[in-house]
Amino acid sequence: MKSGVQHKSVYRIVSIIVLFILAFLFVFPLYWIVTGAFKTTQQINSVTPVWFPTEWTLDNFVRLFARRTAPIFPMGPVGPAAIRWLFNTVFMAVAAMILTCITASMAGYALAKKRFRGRAILFGLIVCAMALPKQVILIPLIREISFLGLYDNIWAVIFPTVGWPFGVFLMKQFSEGIPGEILEAARIDGANEARTFATIVVPMVKPGLGALAIFTFINSWNDYFMQLIMLASTENATISLGISTLQAETSVDTGMLMAGAALAAAPIIIVFLIFQKYFTQGITMGAVKG
Amino acid sequence: MSSVSLKNIYKIYEGNVTAVNDFNLEIADKEFIVLVGPSGCGKSTTLRMVAGLEEISKGELHIDGKLVNDVEPKDRDIAMVFQSYALYPHMTVRENMEFPLKLRKMDKDEIKRRVDQAAEILDIGVYLDRKPKALSGGQRQRVAIGRAIVREPKVLLMDEPLSNLDAKLRNQMRAEIIKLRQRINTTFVYVTHDQTEAMTLGDRIVIMKDGLVQQIGTPQQVFEHPINVFVAGFIGTPQMNFFQGQLEKTGNGYQIKCLGATIPVEGELAQKLAAKNLSNRAVTVGIRPEHITVKGADAANAIQSSIEVSELMGSELYLHATVGDNKQEIVMRIPTIDLPAEHRGGVPYGTKFNFTFPSNLIHLFDPDTEKNMLDL
Amino acid sequence: MAKQPQDAMTRALARRETTVAYLFLLPSLVFFLGFVVIPMIICIFTSLTDSNMNAKIATSFVGLSNFIKLASDKTFIDALINTFVIVLVSVPAVCAFSLWVSSAIYRLNGVLLSAFRCIFYLPVVTGSVAVTVVWKWMYNNYTGIFNHVLKTVGIIDKNINWLGDEKYALWCIILILFTTSVGQPIVLYVSALGNVDHSLVEAAEVDGANNMQVFWQIKWPQMMPTTLYILVITTINSFQCFALIQLLTSGGSGTNTVMYYIYYTAFKLTEQAGHFGYANAMGVVLAIFIGLLSALQFKLAKEK
Repeated sequence: MKSGVQHKSVYRIVSIIVLFILAFLFVFPLYWIVTGAFKTTQQINSVTPVWFPTEWTLDNFVRLFARRTAPIFPMGPVGPAAIRWLFNTVFMAVAAMILTCITASMAGYALAKKRFRGRAILFGLIVCAMALPKQVILIPLIREISFLGLYDNIWAVIFPTVGWPFGVFLMKQFSEGIPGEILEAARIDGANEARTFATIVVPMVKPGLGALAIFTFINSWNDYFMQLIMLASTENATISLGISTLQAETSVDTGMLMAGAALAAAPIIIVFLIFQKYFTQGITMGAVKG
Repeated sequence: MSSVSLKNIYKIYEGNVTAVNDFNLEIADKEFIVLVGPSGCGKSTTLRMVAGLEEISKGELHIDGKLVNDVEPKDRDIAMVFQSYALYPHMTVRENMEFPLKLRKMDKDEIKRRVDQAAEILDIGVYLDRKPKALSGGQRQRVAIGRAIVREPKVLLMDEPLSNLDAKLRNQMRAEIIKLRQRINTTFVYVTHDQTEAMTLGDRIVIMKDGLVQQIGTPQQVFEHPINVFVAGFIGTPQMNFFQGQLEKTGNGYQIKCLGATIPVEGELAQKLAAKNLSNRAVTVGIRPEHITVKGADAANAIQSSIEVSELMGSELYLHATVGDNKQEIVMRIPTIDLPAEHRGGVPYGTKFNFTFPSNLIHLFDPDTEKNMLDL
Repeated sequence: MAKQPQDAMTRALARRETTVAYLFLLPSLVFFLGFVVIPMIICIFTSLTDSNMNAKIATSFVGLSNFIKLASDKTFIDALINTFVIVLVSVPAVCAFSLWVSSAIYRLNGVLLSAFRCIFYLPVVTGSVAVTVVWKWMYNNYTGIFNHVLKTVGIIDKNINWLGDEKYALWCIILILFTTSVGQPIVLYVSALGNVDHSLVEAAEVDGANNMQVFWQIKWPQMMPTTLYILVITTINSFQCFALIQLLTSGGSGTNTVMYYIYYTAFKLTEQAGHFGYANAMGVVLAIFIGLLSALQFKLAKEK
């Protein structure tokens, strides 16, 4: 018995050590980005890596901002393109988040609580669509987007995100937790459909809505492939897309690229850290399916 | 005028499943009606049809003289208390109670007045600013009732409101509901599966089984004159005893042969049987456990039994016994003071026990139709 | 007793419910049908044509010839093999790793647990571009730290052109994919482990089971649904790995995958006749493979 306990605690100590090492390895690339963004070109290109920068400089950012220019918001004054890219990305993520939350909560509620013709078919369609690889759809989607005249328009990236059924699926799961009797009580109290939805249903699915909002925000921000395909001009690029075109142009100015990477990753990481509770909730709930 | 009239009400589901079968009831203004029966008998479905939550398949529902079959629940001037209370979890108690009034765009002062008054009646003033999850079951139930009565509805519907409470609380709340009725003057339609609630709360009881109304009457009526075996067995605790017997005409009256004894029929029962001109026939005899007595059980018509189980209930003993070779089971409620001292704590297994029962408390049922023979 | 009107009312009520439901569904449905379902249909349809990106060139129906061409397209076959290598290596690795990490951290106290969970999720959140940019630098021939560290430790004596060398490039990609894939499974496994019915564990311990037995006999079966979900999404994710390849190697050095080839064919091979239809055909094939693999995983999990 005693050796068993000892064995267990040795295992635990070893695992904790290994975990810390792994955690270090996982965080390292981020550390490398941040330090790289502030390193001098000399330090970046030195054959022996500079583990901790002795000199800090903002030159990389200066070059990043000077590299391309564009109106920093539509119809606005011209400034660093990188700023415009950030603006585009934030706008896109927020718009996708808001639209998805509204449409998905309505649809999820209907699927969970209303009996109607075609319900089973629709739900089956949604489940099938979720199993499909999202990126494969994007190739034919471009045809449709240009047909609608939306090519190189930020909305070309927002609309498909809103259409992705995961949000509806998640909200359906959450809506199912609402007891039918509460909806009946609201009906007897005199609330019509819209009123019931707004004052009773939405407050009761708030955790799900929070998770969905964060999820959509982060996923739309990081959806590189879609941004690559749908957006073309410097003006309309997102931060990820912008940085990647810079990388294609120059493979030498690593410092500038690190600055760009930092700019692309920092906002989203901060958002993630602040809202990680909702995020975790959303992932877990989404996985509790059939 | 808040009368409710149900005429030939049916509820038929897909696949021809009839949940409620030809329900007829006229409820007078301010009457307290209880729908009672076992699970699945259709009582809740009927209530929900009155509320407007279920569609009426056939028949007519009138509230206050108006046909309301197709009227939305909110326009029927009814309020409902659900078994699970259905309180809005994200709103405070006050907000829960204000909700229906706000929807009707009522004046703010009037809303406050009504909510405060309901809170006073139900003794929940202290909880007004709390959320439902901070309340106990009994408190939540009062809030649910409060939300219903602020509407001052014509009909107050209650769907098994006490079923989720523990036994002690249930007894307490039963008394509260009776007191409530005295303070708010409205028609009540109350659904329960508990016959005690039905008997204590209702002006009239509607007993249902498998979608069909069995009997409608005052508590006293259904207790003393059950219309069939089901009603007789459903009302009263412990359940009425049933056993087979033989009704025989004697020279100047009748007698019943059962449980190995012969019981002469006297008084009112004999007169009624005579009036029906009944001849010798098999009968199902029913006698309530509380009507069985040990007094006078030494006479010729005493029935011999052997005790199986004895439950001490305080001032009474519930005795489960068997009679005869075919072990017919009998349950009796005997006051302890009627028993010899050595039996007052309990009667041991196997004790030979004599009992009898007065003939005027016997119920006779046709063995085939199970209907009360006095109604045949 | 009006029988007919009552029946009609039931139908009208059902219609009303349906109308209300569809009104709630409408906004989402517009986007779903318009931007998910219709493209799916277009994909299948286009795969049967010889369409081009340039709409001015006429398109005609070619039946299954795109698919037949695929079967003998060496580039495609190579890409398919690479894709499968990526999937078959990363999926088990990701699952096993996440399982181990989750089992090691799920009982830690709240702050530590959140911190670890966060850290392992960070590569996912950082975004493909930032991740690729920094790893490209780390893999760099001359200034990358991998070469430096390995030389310092003595494992190699010369710089290795990680991303340029066919021997290594694909594995470099797999490594990055790995770090960006374990985040979600870890979150899910931690949650699933936390939900294991503890009374079963206690019963087993009382019966004398040791840690390993408790894990495999009691906890593992309860986590099967989670494992299945993780397998499926990791598979889909690996199949669709794109940004890494496009930004690091542009499909060169033996890292061409189906997903990249689709992109390349649709957007870069604009001179080749019928390229767009061809790309769509590849997409269909990819979707079929993913579907089959997912179905297989489902079946295996059910049988266990």
